[in-house]
Amino acid sequence: MPSDLVSAPVQRSEEPGRQRLIDWAAVRALVVRGLNELLRVPGAAIPGIVSPAIFLIGLVLVFGKATDIPGYGTSSFLAFVLPVALLQSAGFTGGATGVNLGRDIEGGWLDRLLLSPTSRATILVGLVLSASLRVLIPVPPLLLIAIAVGAPVPSALGVVITFVIVVMFTAVAATWASILALIFKSQQASPLMQSSILSSLLFSASYAPLELLQPWMRTIAEHNPVTLVVEGIRQCYVGDITWAVTWHALAALLVMGAIFSLWALVRLRRYER
Amino acid sequence: MPPHAIVTTGLEKRYPRGGTYAVRGVDLAVDPGEVYGFLGPNGAGKSTMVRLLVTLLRPSAGTAFVAGHDVVKNPAAVRANIGVALQDAAIDPLMTGRELLRLQSVLHGIPRKAVAPRSDLLLERVGLTEAGDKRVGEYSGGMRRRLDLAMALIHEPSVLFLDEPTTGLDPSSRLLLWSEVRRLRDQGTTVFLTTQYLEEADQLADRVGIIAGGELVAEDTPAALKAQVGRPHVHIGLCDPADLPMALEVSASVGSPRPGVTPSCLDVSVDHGSRELAALVRVLDDAGIVVESMAVVSPTLDDVFLQKTGEHLAEEAAA
Amino acid sequence: MIAPSLALGQRALRLTFRRPQFLIPLFLMPSIFLAVNTGGLASTTRLPGFPETSGFLDFQLPAAMVQSLMLSGLQAGIAVALEIESGFFDRLITAPVARLSIVAGRLIAAAVLAVVQVAFFLVVGLVFGAQVAAGVGGAVLVLVLGSLAAVAFAAIGMAIAFRARQASVVQGMFPFVFAILYLSSAFFPRELLGSPADSISAWNPLSYMADGLRTPIAFGLEWTPILEGFAVTGAVIVVASLLAVAGLRWRLSDAV
Repeated sequence: MPSDLVSAPVQRSEEPGRQRLIDWAAVRALVVRGLNELLRVPGAAIPGIVSPAIFLIGLVLVFGKATDIPGYGTSSFLAFVLPVALLQSAGFTGGATGVNLGRDIEGGWLDRLLLSPTSRATILVGLVLSASLRVLIPVPPLLLIAIAVGAPVPSALGVVITFVIVVMFTAVAATWASILALIFKSQQASPLMQSSILSSLLFSASYAPLELLQPWMRTIAEHNPVTLVVEGIRQCYVGDITWAVTWHALAALLVMGAIFSLWALVRLRRYER
Repeated sequence: MPPHAIVTTGLEKRYPRGGTYAVRGVDLAVDPGEVYGFLGPNGAGKSTMVRLLVTLLRPSAGTAFVAGHDVVKNPAAVRANIGVALQDAAIDPLMTGRELLRLQSVLHGIPRKAVAPRSDLLLERVGLTEAGDKRVGEYSGGMRRRLDLAMALIHEPSVLFLDEPTTGLDPSSRLLLWSEVRRLRDQGTTVFLTTQYLEEADQLADRVGIIAGGELVAEDTPAALKAQVGRPHVHIGLCDPADLPMALEVSASVGSPRPGVTPSCLDVSVDHGSRELAALVRVLDDAGIVVESMAVVSPTLDDVFLQKTGEHLAEEAAA
Repeated sequence: MIAPSLALGQRALRLTFRRPQFLIPLFLMPSIFLAVNTGGLASTTRLPGFPETSGFLDFQLPAAMVQSLMLSGLQAGIAVALEIESGFFDRLITAPVARLSIVAGRLIAAAVLAVVQVAFFLVVGLVFGAQVAAGVGGAVLVLVLGSLAAVAFAAIGMAIAFRARQASVVQGMFPFVFAILYLSSAFFPRELLGSPADSISAWNPLSYMADGLRTPIAFGLEWTPILEGFAVTGAVIVVASLLAVAGLRWRLSDAV
């Protein structure tokens, strides 16, 4: 009989104890907080642009002649590795979500979120969604820089596919990094978050098509779902866009996203032990 | 079932590593509208106890009901009815006080129209109206605690948990927080407060539980706990040391007198304390003895603590 | 002057090995890039103009080494900046220790750590099928040149730290490490680099350091690039040490 105890309860939009799976008003509030972090720290978006840009331009300066070898399907190494740089920026943004969550766990902010009656899924969606929106800040300038130094201008469809995949990859990376944050409960796991995401990207068909990879590397890349993601963006800059490649990329992202989300929710529940 | 605000039976938290108990076999019943002080030194299990009660930790054994709901079976209902201010006020330094309160309102499912007025009201109540649009990074320690309290109160919880609310605060901020806690009690909110400061427990709590090594070693009103340690006495200073034999004789009708540490004073053990003051004044006056000073000396909670646990509490806050 | 330098060097080394979170990246990051570059781009040895070599892994090993040594130099700078921030450094300079010992201690530590780093990548290379073309003598040459290169990078790191004083600023140099790497022949033959990296790399000392390390591993005892490597490394050590000592002086004159 809790009503006896309550002095004067504020009118609530719903019965306590009965919660929607996802409370979108709360998600929105959490997303706003996540974006604040980026908008209020001057220069916070810079690393997400500068590092992949240096990486991209550097790779092209160093290994640019690689496309003289038959099999790349393009004479522009820049066009070939551009997806890697875009996804690197996405992975970095996603990884930062885990880094921030680690900080929030250390500082007690996650405790505060968990103390609210909102559902655990709401909290996870809020975290991941704000990462996915944040990636829209570094990626357009990065794409423009690439085009300025000679990358092909994508078609409208190419732009759409690029951004859809980049946003989804950010969400997957953010979920993965959040799992690590919930396991280690500390910012100390940050290098592990960032390096595991970067490795997933590099150990794919990142620098060369599958056929040109060393046999051991080819085996890894063929089993690495991120290869499908890289190829999903690559088709917008090298060769033609096909439904099959697009579909494979989206499916890979959805499967990874589903598995990681469930895992993250389990970890979030276990957090209370 | 009596409508307790907090009831625990055999509550335990044991950590898998090493199998040590952080909280062991705690039975607790806190009435609605009561301020319950949980007293113990660092590492005694106070914070673990709070985390168990607010659903941030799952008990290893025993049960706990908070605001009428089981913390394990219905944690969401518990969360909807409690307000919590944890020890380290985790507040995002980049956000303003007002923004944080609004976020907290939304997370607690307060209807959209009510969010802004409710946040403003709470800011006013903790005296942060002017600082409301400043980023929290610029707040002082006391301001952060007050904002933390406002966030804990945003949904008008029936039970409020305050984990060491004044640790590290300056005396004036501490007094402000105390008066807010009293006000909440007057409005009928149950307050569960942990502290390592005796004075705080003495000042605020209707009842005090003493925890040491994860176990509840004593529990009662502050006065009753003190009474367990010893009776209060009245310390009397005389103008003329020659009056001492007479003073000892006449005050025996009120309590048990004994000579004090100097030739011009005596101590009279009494049952209650201030209640016997008038009687003592009367008998001394009737005997024509001129009294220079008179003071009731009560045992402190530290005496209780010493007796129950064999150690002193750190008394840094007594000043 | 020698005893305090050695003592400070020993302290710096001990601290490095006690912080695995700083030590591990020195080995892990270059290893990841080594694996990805060789696994992904080994076919580039087929490019016309790519020098005759025993293998692409052999060719890439020195890139991993200089990368690791540069990161270690940056970390030496971060460590010094942290000591400045924490006030330890002030305690050090008020002690009756020669100023030069403070710089020398760090450089000695970097040289010793470099032997471990270079040896690690040599072993990794040998395990995964690389060879040292110039044999055991060549491996010794690589270890010595690697240590000297580490001294040069550590001196640069310290020179930056004395100016910047804040660890976060030194940390911010991280992308530049890669920019300098990409503008050198560390990863790829200089003649095959894209413009303008091909011409810039001719002026980049790192090119000569990397080629000096590469020659005994991938090509054999060809003395011109090896001696060029030692000469350029020596010159960088002299210039960077002077800058570091000047930075220290400047910091001291600025102290209240």
